[in-house]
Amino acid sequence: MGEEFPFDINPMYEGERIRKKGMYVELGGPDQPGFELVRAASMDEVEDGRFTMIGPDILDLKEGSQNTYAMMFRMAGELVETDLESVVERRMHDFQNYIQGYMHLNQRYDIWVRVSKDAVKKGLKSFEQIAKATIRLYKAELPFIEKMEATFITDPDEVKKQLDGAMEIFAQRDARTRDLHDEDVDLFYGCTLCQSFAPTNVCVVTPDRVSLCGAINWFDGRAAANVDPEGPNFAIEKGECIDEIGGEYTGVNEKTVELSGGEYDRIQLHSFFDAPHTSCGCFEVIGFYMPEVDGIGWVDRDYTEPSPNGLAFSTMAGNTGGGKQSIGFLGIGVEYFRSPKFIQKDGGWNRVVWMPSRLKERVKDGIPADISDKISTENDTKTIDELKEFLKAKDHPVVKNWIEEVEEAEEEAAAVSTAGGMGMPMQMQQFAPGQIMMPAMGGGSGGGIKIILKNAKITISEVKFEEAEGSKKKGK
Amino acid sequence: MAKEGLFKIGGLENVQINIGKIVSEEDEWEPMGPVPCPEVEDMRHWYMKLLDRYPPFYAPYCDMCCLCTFGKCDLTGNKKGACGLDMRGQQARFVLIACCMGASAHCGHGRHMLHSLIDMFGADVPVDLGTQINVEAPIMRTVIGVKPKVLGDFAKAFDYVEEQIAQMMDATHTGQEGSYLDYEAKAYHVGMLDSLAKEASDMIQMIAFKYPMGADVPLVDIGVGCVDTDKPIILVIGHNVIPSVAIIDYLDEHDMRDLVEVAGICCTAIDNTRYDFKAKVVGAIGRQLRFVRSGVADVIVVDEQCIRADIVEQAQRVQAPLIATNNKALYGLPERSGDPAEEIIEDLASGKMAAVAILDPEKVAEVVPKLAMIMKNKRKNIRTLPSDAEQKEYAARCYDCGNCVLACPQGLPIDRAMQELAAGNPEPMSILFDKCVGCGRCEQVCKWEIPIVDVMQKTALKQVKSEKFKMRVGRGPVLDTEIRNVGAPLVLGTIPGVIAVVGCGNYPDGTEDVYKIAREFALRKYIVVATGCGAMDMALYRNEEGETIYEEFPGGFEAGGVVNIGSCVSNAHIHGAAIKVASIFARRNLRGNMDEIADYILNRVGAAGVAWGAMSQKAASIGTGVEVWGVPVVVGPHGAKYRHAHIGRKDDLTKWDVYNMRDGSKVRCEPAPEHLILGAETVEEAIPLLARLCMRPVDNPSGRQIKLTHYMDLSMKYLGAYHDDWPIFVRSETDLPLARKEEYLKVLEKDYGWKIDWDSKKILEGPLRKQDPQFDPTNLERLLKGAE
Repeated sequence: MGEEFPFDINPMYEGERIRKKGMYVELGGPDQPGFELVRAASMDEVEDGRFTMIGPDILDLKEGSQNTYAMMFRMAGELVETDLESVVERRMHDFQNYIQGYMHLNQRYDIWVRVSKDAVKKGLKSFEQIAKATIRLYKAELPFIEKMEATFITDPDEVKKQLDGAMEIFAQRDARTRDLHDEDVDLFYGCTLCQSFAPTNVCVVTPDRVSLCGAINWFDGRAAANVDPEGPNFAIEKGECIDEIGGEYTGVNEKTVELSGGEYDRIQLHSFFDAPHTSCGCFEVIGFYMPEVDGIGWVDRDYTEPSPNGLAFSTMAGNTGGGKQSIGFLGIGVEYFRSPKFIQKDGGWNRVVWMPSRLKERVKDGIPADISDKISTENDTKTIDELKEFLKAKDHPVVKNWIEEVEEAEEEAAAVSTAGGMGMPMQMQQFAPGQIMMPAMGGGSGGGIKIILKNAKITISEVKFEEAEGSKKKGK
Repeated sequence: MAKEGLFKIGGLENVQINIGKIVSEEDEWEPMGPVPCPEVEDMRHWYMKLLDRYPPFYAPYCDMCCLCTFGKCDLTGNKKGACGLDMRGQQARFVLIACCMGASAHCGHGRHMLHSLIDMFGADVPVDLGTQINVEAPIMRTVIGVKPKVLGDFAKAFDYVEEQIAQMMDATHTGQEGSYLDYEAKAYHVGMLDSLAKEASDMIQMIAFKYPMGADVPLVDIGVGCVDTDKPIILVIGHNVIPSVAIIDYLDEHDMRDLVEVAGICCTAIDNTRYDFKAKVVGAIGRQLRFVRSGVADVIVVDEQCIRADIVEQAQRVQAPLIATNNKALYGLPERSGDPAEEIIEDLASGKMAAVAILDPEKVAEVVPKLAMIMKNKRKNIRTLPSDAEQKEYAARCYDCGNCVLACPQGLPIDRAMQELAAGNPEPMSILFDKCVGCGRCEQVCKWEIPIVDVMQKTALKQVKSEKFKMRVGRGPVLDTEIRNVGAPLVLGTIPGVIAVVGCGNYPDGTEDVYKIAREFALRKYIVVATGCGAMDMALYRNEEGETIYEEFPGGFEAGGVVNIGSCVSNAHIHGAAIKVASIFARRNLRGNMDEIADYILNRVGAAGVAWGAMSQKAASIGTGVEVWGVPVVVGPHGAKYRHAHIGRKDDLTKWDVYNMRDGSKVRCEPAPEHLILGAETVEEAIPLLARLCMRPVDNPSGRQIKLTHYMDLSMKYLGAYHDDWPIFVRSETDLPLARKEEYLKVLEKDYGWKIDWDSKKILEGPLRKQDPQFDPTNLERLLKGAE
């Protein structure tokens, strides 16, 4: 490709910074409008490789200037469909960054591009070269794109005019993404990309559930499966719906058996406790059940302090993952917080009691307004006891469950030897890292937990000695 | 009356039990795997698997054996020695001896530190690495099945290693092992022991001295020019940081820290800066002789490893008193720990004694700072480098015999430079300064007794004095959270691999080589990790913006990070990172499970090491220890002197069969990784080779695509051509580098006879195998479904 273009094209230029002093021109960015748009069209509408320039080309722009910028691509192909537009468009950032001397930041209507002086010196003279290189990369990576053409605009009036139309399309797309749900599609997508490290993990990616690593949504899965149906992203026929709330489908279960080598036979996509989705190793956020409050906390990789249960992300994550269903813990991608089906089997947001403030802020648009203030962060509470007080004070929905359970527990008080004296509003379960916590279901399961006492002070007012039966016979 | 022993409590009333902390029982953390604390025979199946695929290739550095009194035995021409051992056996035996020496150095160092640290802090210092590390000692967990909780627990690691080294060294005695493969297997065993000893050694100093961790450790000064010559200067050389820490503590306690410079050479220098950010790093091993000769140091303190054997004489030459602090390096000196500090100071300051041994670190700390203050004053007018007139006279003595060039390990053109110098042009000589490894062999052979080291240093004095660079403090282990963060980019290929720059300073063409290697890969978003000499030497250069490599790139285990892991012993954290990948992503049990973990790494984790200046026996055990965990190593041209290479034979495809764990079938794979240890002649050869060695059978298409892109790109950049067998790594069109996909498809069709469907741009015929996303590779039969 180097022979054809006066610049090198290589992934190593991703992240290449072009500073102001080395910049030939700036396009879009903080001071000028700019956008990029990829649209699907029919085969006869697109002329492969055609380039149209509206407004001055690179060499006609004033050196050092900031300019309006629009890049509009149209693609066609048998498998090309409107739903793939945004996936294709997002790759623009990768591909254009492969171009040496061309810096591309952000996406959609936020794009910020700089062309370096060096690139111009080496022979970059027209946006046509950029467009051709971009098209080349698109067609190489996504062969379902059979034809592609480009229109680049630097004329300020034309950019403004086109931007209005583009904004409308972005809004429509967002609405489509928002309104597209598991029940609207017949195909989910499996992702086994991370099997190179986590050989037993399978992500089921649905319109309402992004991959655990956050990198693959349903549209990405669809695009990748179109490119290479036998590759690491593949379609899963969802089949019959077994449990609408939990998100259990016959097709997913069949695939689960197949891909886990028979280890698991069910997955509920939107459940925390009952046959939850398996967790890999690179999940962005881990959810953890706190039996003391019957609520679920979430902690992300960037939060390094211990959570209210005393455990930090890495400790809990160390007990989850590896493609296993770990009841009591669940790895998810951040985007899943915005899913309307977010752990809906187990109460959804009404079951969420704690998350780090930065994570909460990041996903606040996904949190129902009536619950948001009731979800604690490290700024309010750092321990279970503090959390308990907080939830009580805020009248969090989980508090209702406590009362019911206390009643239940009281009924069984005589039989339960460990809970009574602890002053807990509900039955207490001890757990150590590594142990799987089940939701408190009332009734004391001894659970076979072994307790080793160290440095424990036991004050005993009186000890009576009695020879145990049989000891004489056994003793030497 | 109650007696000791078992009794049963019949009932409890009004008993309050307060429990401060509940911990899970040791045994429950993971089930014990099949090979805890393995003897060589327990792991032999794995060692032999590696040796079968990567058979030893010998380069007999010495073809005689002179270890017993039957000898010398000439082993050339398929002759056996008096004991019956043949050439291959003898070469492999020497590999094992070298590895035992190296592992002993790490283990001895660690054991020695453990004694000192327990003396200082007690055995109960908790292993607390913060909330971002869950797998605290991955090698120890894996190899001996122990999860250390307190300082004292590390004794278990040393106990095991010591016994095993004795067993392995035993096998090198005359009349023992007779198979070269079993010698090699034993060397692998020792390499594994070495990795464990290093991990334990670094962890004990980390937890006792509370070294900083993570990506945000500060930058510290490195370079001769950073040392403030207005202050008294204490120079510490070696690897065992205990005496230096004692000195630094003493300075702090006596409000003297800002009055005195503590400068270091070798790993003690790195570890000093982990303890005290004010400590200065002079540089790596290559600077030792030259910095000592420069006379800047007022007192020289040596501990252990990589110290010149003639250090006493060199120190004397510049009238700097020397203190030996470790029983492994006593230089015939009297041990004076029992004498009052004042007496020792008096003896050394007066010149009555030039050097002493003091094995008690507290006493060292009492003596050295005061002595440095006195010596600073006394040594004020000492001139150590030649005067201008002397320099001229020395240069004029040279009659161009060329002995120096022949003696120089790198064959530097010292003779021509000396002639130029005589003619009034110092530049050629000054250029040699950075390429010189500082061994001083040239002086030994100079018939005219020209102090070549000093002459060269004088020509480069200006540049040496301006050597002020920054190095990020060695940060110890990679955090578990960092591993999680890079999981997705590693499998997607946006991070194409991990390159470990390790080892000593015997560079064929100067320190800049390691800078070049590290920067090339960091720019390409590989993760570059570094330790020891490599970590220091790569700091000595700047980019166009004037930034050192540690300023240019972030210090986290992330895309394009340049991560200073720490000293030689910190090397173990690099293995540790790979082991954590298995633990974190695949939840493989580590405990007593080394073969499975190494197998996982070999087939999945795209990492390669480069010991470009490998010199010592430690480097031999380090390299072998990296290999045995499934990570390939490239050594520089001097690496051939280790006598063997482990070179994969891609012409024999049967060697590349790998099981698919899912169904037990055999899959013929591409040679990935192709070799386990081999030398490269030049940096231009090494760089593409490293990229090639980052490929793994399990790469998914996006990962392979990027790995292949860099490999081919680097081949073209450094060698001007593609390797003619590059298609062996192409499984389908999705593996092809994106920017040149069509061009490569044409090449595959035209030059390699592959069948391409040009309508769909798909490869129809040609690849060795198809990429199978369900491929779950292993070399171990026991991991196959249904195997028991």
